[in-house]
Amino acid sequence: MTQDNRSGRPQGRPPESDSRLSRVEAQLRGPFLLFFVSAVVWLLVASILGLISALQLQGFGGLLNGEAFTFGHVSAAQHNLFIYGWAFNAFFAINLWLTSQLGRFELRNAWLVTLGALVWNVTLTYGVLSIFAGDLNPFSLLEMPRGVGPVLALAFVLAAFWPIVAYARRPTGQSFASQWFIVGASFVFPLTYLLAQLLLLWNPASGVVQAIVHSWFIQNLLLLWVGGSALAAIYYFLPKVLGRNITGYYLATVAFWTFFLFAGWTGSASLLGSPIPLWVQSVGVVGSAMLLIPVIITALNFHGTLSADGGWSRAWNSTTLRFVCFGAVAFTLSGLINALFSFRGYNAVVRFTSFGVGQEQLLTYAFASMVIFGAAYFILPRLTGALWPSAKLVHLHFWATALAVLGSVSASLVVGWQSGNQLAGASGLASANVLFAILFLVGHVAFALNAFGMILKSTAPAAEGRHD
Amino acid sequence: MKNTKLLIAGVFLTVALPFGAILLSSQAQLGELGRASVGEGEPLFPSRVPGLAVQGRDVYISVGCIACHTQQVRPAGQGSDIARGYGARPSVARDYVLQPQVLLGDRRLGPDLANYGARAKDLSSVHVSIKHKGEFAFLYSGDAERANALAAYLLSLRQDYSSPEAKLKK
Repeated sequence: MTQDNRSGRPQGRPPESDSRLSRVEAQLRGPFLLFFVSAVVWLLVASILGLISALQLQGFGGLLNGEAFTFGHVSAAQHNLFIYGWAFNAFFAINLWLTSQLGRFELRNAWLVTLGALVWNVTLTYGVLSIFAGDLNPFSLLEMPRGVGPVLALAFVLAAFWPIVAYARRPTGQSFASQWFIVGASFVFPLTYLLAQLLLLWNPASGVVQAIVHSWFIQNLLLLWVGGSALAAIYYFLPKVLGRNITGYYLATVAFWTFFLFAGWTGSASLLGSPIPLWVQSVGVVGSAMLLIPVIITALNFHGTLSADGGWSRAWNSTTLRFVCFGAVAFTLSGLINALFSFRGYNAVVRFTSFGVGQEQLLTYAFASMVIFGAAYFILPRLTGALWPSAKLVHLHFWATALAVLGSVSASLVVGWQSGNQLAGASGLASANVLFAILFLVGHVAFALNAFGMILKSTAPAAEGRHD
Repeated sequence: MKNTKLLIAGVFLTVALPFGAILLSSQAQLGELGRASVGEGEPLFPSRVPGLAVQGRDVYISVGCIACHTQQVRPAGQGSDIARGYGARPSVARDYVLQPQVLLGDRRLGPDLANYGARAKDLSSVHVSIKHKGEFAFLYSGDAERANALAAYLLSLRQDYSSPEAKLKK
């Protein structure tokens, strides 16, 4: 990468806002709010389904008996809504906003984005209803009927291809780390999603090759789209809010390329001991170990930036950074745990237990979702021109979700490890899981009340009445 | 990083490399795998399943059994599946060649079912298991057609034959 610096801004810091931004933001406002409101609604639905499935595991299945509400249906619907409903919609919104900030991008075709948002959410609704109706595929995060796939891919392109357009057309030669991650993530998802659909649902690969394809897809989805988008947000908000450069920013290029290069190889590490060729399993283990390179570099970048000059305490006192830094620490932890537990000896103990659930929750909630919350606290006041209605709800949101995810992840990991060491078979989680599900719901309701209250209050155009 | 085409081409390569190296080559390695016998004159395995069991597999998928049940036995050195009595030998790729959708599963809230048919005592015990203390009683509505199909499918699940890749110890 060239380190030219024509604008005179220090490397490792995103460009400053200019006078055109308010117009840019005004164009974005509609699509952003549509994505964001959809995301929060799906998050609430997913939290309720999460509570139902936690109760079902506790033996309260009688509450919702019947064919539509088997544990398999509820947990599949919850999983799909959390990823495709919450995380996707939220990152559509945040990536679009970041793109406009970083590339001076003007969204002239906002109606295309709006169309993409509508198609995405209507199709998702149909897909999830199909899961409840028993029309589902046996592949996690590809459960929705196969007709849904191509439509979702099309909606994705309408909603999320703009960062690539913006990057190609950006007026300045320079670029920033967040842009690479967003461009990469937006490019990788539709490609891998369509290939996985093709090889699993339309023209299935033979036998256990399906499992290999599926594990490859999952890693591309969770690491590159969800993880890549969240990393982009951290690379933006950390230097922006702290007002300083990213420590060791020159390494970010290496982090980007190694992250994308190795993430695609890690899938088969989740298939150790499965009836697939041994070399495929070994490749997965090596890939997971290599993924430590970007994990370590991002740790240096993020935690280095925070450690200098009282950064941690300043981050704690900023609502945005409190969430974003929670996510940054979770990403480092998640990378370390994933690498360690892809080694055969450890993996043999924890495979098929709740440990895997904990690992995924660490990545998709403690890392990605907390970053989304942090980004929302930064962006929404600018776009709505209003203040967050209640500081108490912000605190409630942080503490409820932080405690819930800490408790839930550590319970999954510890119970997974313990039950893997026993011969007696898998044991479910203790009633603590219900408690965590309630805490999650409380936190999300607090967030939704605050956010919706703010959106409803805002009547002013984005250019006026900024409070930041 | 200034060149957009270079960035996109690089990202495309990072997708294409593992796709080709892992997915396409494992399809090349396993794609032609078919039924086989351990010796001349021996029966071919895996056996074809009866039509009722094929219907039962659809019930298995549509009810969402895979959320809690796996169908794979790991080798003795990798986990305790054999010690737990889930099977007498590790599963091999050939065991799955007749399945249109492979149901390996990734979470065990209930027992592994790769050898359920080999360890089930009798049909009535299978139905007791299917009901899950009443949660799945809806499968028995009407003439219990779906429950019977599911039972036939579960009884067809067995990897208790010798395979060229994994011979049973006599």
